[in-house]
Amino acid sequence: MKVPVSWLREYVDFGLPLEDLARKLVVTSCEVDRIVHRGVPDRDGNLERFVVGRVEDAAKHPNADRLQLCMVDVGEGEPRRIVCGAWNFGAGATVAVALPGALLPGAEQPLGEAKLRGELSRGMILSEREVDLGVDHSGIMVLADGLEPGTPLADVLPLTDDVLDIETGFNRPDLASIYGIAREVAAVTGGELAAPPGRDPAGRTEERVDVRVEDFEGCPRYVGRLFRGATIGESPLWLKARLLAAGMRPISNVVDVTNYVMLALGSPLHAFDVARLDEGRIVVRRATKGEKMRTLDGQERELAPADLVIADAKHPVAIAGIMGGEKSEVRPETTDLLLEAANFDPLTVLRTSRRLRLRTESSTRWEKGVDPFAAEQAAVYATQLFVELAGARWAGHVDVHEGLPERPRVTLRPELADRLSGMHIPVEEQTERLRSIGFQAGDGLEVTVPTWRARDVTRSVDLVEEVVRFRIEDVPTTLPSRPAKPAQLTREQRLRRQIEDVLVGAGFHEAYTWTLVPPGEGRISLEEPLSAELAALRPNLEYWLVESARRNRNAGGQRIALFELARVFLPADGELPDERWHVAGIMDGGYFRAKGAVETLHRALHVEPDFTVLDVRGLDEGWGYFEVDLDALFGRVPDVVLYEDVITYPDVKQDLAFVVDEGVSAGELIEEARRAAGPELRELKPFDVYRGEQAGPGKKSIAFSASFQSPERTLTDEDAARLRGLIAEALAERFGAFLRA
Amino acid sequence: MDVEALEREALAAIAKARSADELEEVRVRTLGRKSPLKLALREVRDRESGMALNAVREGVEQALAARQAQLAQPSADPTFDPTLPGEEIPRGSYHLITQLRRQIEDVFIGMGYEIYDGLEVDTVENNFDALNTPEAHPSRDPRDTFYLDDDTVLRTHTSPSQIRAMRAMEPPVYLASLGRVYRRDTIDATHTPIFHQVEALAVDRDVTLADLRGTMRAFAEAIFGGTREIRMRTSFFPFTEPSVEFDMTCYLCDGAGCAVCKHSGWIEMGGAGQVDPNVLAGVGYDPEEWQGFAWGLGIDRIAFARHGLPDLRLFWENDIRVLSQF
Repeated sequence: MKVPVSWLREYVDFGLPLEDLARKLVVTSCEVDRIVHRGVPDRDGNLERFVVGRVEDAAKHPNADRLQLCMVDVGEGEPRRIVCGAWNFGAGATVAVALPGALLPGAEQPLGEAKLRGELSRGMILSEREVDLGVDHSGIMVLADGLEPGTPLADVLPLTDDVLDIETGFNRPDLASIYGIAREVAAVTGGELAAPPGRDPAGRTEERVDVRVEDFEGCPRYVGRLFRGATIGESPLWLKARLLAAGMRPISNVVDVTNYVMLALGSPLHAFDVARLDEGRIVVRRATKGEKMRTLDGQERELAPADLVIADAKHPVAIAGIMGGEKSEVRPETTDLLLEAANFDPLTVLRTSRRLRLRTESSTRWEKGVDPFAAEQAAVYATQLFVELAGARWAGHVDVHEGLPERPRVTLRPELADRLSGMHIPVEEQTERLRSIGFQAGDGLEVTVPTWRARDVTRSVDLVEEVVRFRIEDVPTTLPSRPAKPAQLTREQRLRRQIEDVLVGAGFHEAYTWTLVPPGEGRISLEEPLSAELAALRPNLEYWLVESARRNRNAGGQRIALFELARVFLPADGELPDERWHVAGIMDGGYFRAKGAVETLHRALHVEPDFTVLDVRGLDEGWGYFEVDLDALFGRVPDVVLYEDVITYPDVKQDLAFVVDEGVSAGELIEEARRAAGPELRELKPFDVYRGEQAGPGKKSIAFSASFQSPERTLTDEDAARLRGLIAEALAERFGAFLRA
Repeated sequence: MDVEALEREALAAIAKARSADELEEVRVRTLGRKSPLKLALREVRDRESGMALNAVREGVEQALAARQAQLAQPSADPTFDPTLPGEEIPRGSYHLITQLRRQIEDVFIGMGYEIYDGLEVDTVENNFDALNTPEAHPSRDPRDTFYLDDDTVLRTHTSPSQIRAMRAMEPPVYLASLGRVYRRDTIDATHTPIFHQVEALAVDRDVTLADLRGTMRAFAEAIFGGTREIRMRTSFFPFTEPSVEFDMTCYLCDGAGCAVCKHSGWIEMGGAGQVDPNVLAGVGYDPEEWQGFAWGLGIDRIAFARHGLPDLRLFWENDIRVLSQF
């Protein structure tokens, strides 16, 4: 919300500097993102160089067809010669003049005296766009007659303003208006708040306004006002300047008034061209299936039965609270108006706005909930301005509702503020703070909530916030007083850290990759993904990890080793996916490097790796890859590792080499050897595989280093020979293995 | 006599000595019986100059001993060049977020908080409803939140962990929860659709906003060092009442104003407040009996600002040239 400070000052009188006001608001009320200066820079006497001028003489420039040569009285006695490119004025016009040395909005250099086609120009006649007062650049500003030449322009036009850029919270729709901010400013500064703007013109209205509300749930209130004889035209400069400062584009006097009043009071308005309403009637109803309308932005919209529409006797003419339709749009030739000052249900507007992907200044206000009591004041203010600015006659009024909501009453619990805040706030102060923001608090503890806060403040604890926010800087700094209690990581958290430590220690760099991957079999898809690559939950860590490794290699990286420890998501029967912790690694060096990493990881956790279930692979381009399900792994990690005596009785080491068929694996041999020799075979590790003449065709020789050991006695050479015999015999029988040495 | 010059010359000669013999010569010249120093010592009459000369003598003696030890080392192999780099032992690296996550976990463990692992995919009930989020709240908008279906979302904050934890535990509860959260933001230098949050929850009989402020300060001082002030500003979150946003004094300028804090002196930290009674009642805690605070903050930006990264995407690109810096 952009709050032009000149506008704010119309409603509240505050004494302190703007920066201090912003600081106070930030602490007690809402974010103030920044303070922006708008319009003519107000420093070094710059404003004095903008004055009212009267054109005494205007004629074609002798050397240029498109330029005028003017003599302009700016109150200096002698008129100034000024060259001007506009033709929408002549001698006698009162105009706005910038004198040499003036710094225009957005300009880096001050205005100089310049020769234009051979004629010296000693100033500049201004268009509204040149001083941020409007968007029109087709001609210069012609001011009202009767202004004395030389009058400071700033006395006549809002040349300069500061704008507070405010972010209002979801719970404070009341702050989405200048008057709402003024109310808050009055409370935080103690400044005086003016009555809300707008007064009905005198006189009676006689015409009937044909408004029928068929859906009070979607539209609890509809104030309709009829105007005759309006003249559509441009808004006055002050109004255009304010709209621009508040971030809206001026369009025409009638549309500008609806926008202006929305900004002033927070209740969005809409104006229809009555002549274009079928039977001049307004019907508030839900759309019928398949109903269509063209909105103001030129889009053809298909409506759904949940959408609330404003219709005439036949067709929708606006999507309630979101956008008007083209058909009944106010045009230059429009004379009769129907003003809508309604109240719409937030959820109805929200759902339609979401469905249509259409968010507007008005829909964002309705979504947060607008005070139904604001509609009437908005109608009054708009009426005043239609009459003043568009010459309209107010002809009819209707206020359709089924009873307006009661103001909520909430019990003040003074002790609750103390209990939650950790400081004492006397009850008198609490009620005083509440009164300052429009709550009615008598002597008792019953508090009546103002209509503009009725949605947010419904409980005693909500009153606590309204009080404590004014004292938030005084909250002490303490720590919970509970008795000391030891805390530690859970077993799984400790083990996860250990895995990270082992892999980092082994030279792996830890990677973080997206949880989302392209969709596919076994992957849970998102309803509305950001992109095709980030469209489903990953069932494993492979996709982006491989991508990261490749990217490193493309960047010229060597000895690449990455790992990631994160969650994966598998489809499951319950309401949520099966969310599991995995660790995966990718590295140069292929299958055996990956296997080595997995072995190291298991050794660190004292678990025997089970390669029948582990995912260890060599990938294309020479990568090795592994992925381990940690939930499964952690189930096998012993809580306590018991001592094993490997010192008292030394081991006996021997090498054995077996010649076997090519199809027999080392793993099978080891498994069989262990079965045959029992626990006294402590270790059997392959260290060489030989293929060639001595092994024979279709055969290979695998050399093992064996270690025999007993925890009970020293093994003799005879023991070793016996164990070796058992192994040789078993392997010969099972695999036809031949012991070479 | 110029004692300082004497000392300077002696030390220079010691440093220059290339052998034990040369060093012995220097010793005789500087500390021998006929050396100027010894002669001067003999002439001393007052305490002050005696102390000064003795200090010089001690300094020279120490320098002699040190140089002697240096020269006594076994004479090196002439082919041995100790200035060549050591054999490289591969070194991996922890991701910056992991480093910060561990630091934060340890701070909370130190304060007696459990670390609670929530779920990254959670129910709309836990992510929104039980956290008192109105249906019209913009955080529910499918333009901002990833839905799997009408009832399931990628969690938009770590707060559903509060709900899971409180439903599983009896009060009092002191816990912190860290992890990935998801928002439907387009990827650019300052936004990623996945980022990390830390959440703290303390529910007991008498935990107040003052305790919140103190805990945030303890946290900020533990993570950023020094003495930090905490500023609270009124805000709105559906699951806390009252709600605040909190800032800490800038860790770089201590509040004086600098580029890191955009000359405000304050660094925005996150959101917090007293747990809303609706939330407590919803998990079966009696709000008249139990109360406390919750707070959360994004940690990517902390790591990002602290280490001077120019672009949040660097956290996800896994360029080893970047990873190995930290």
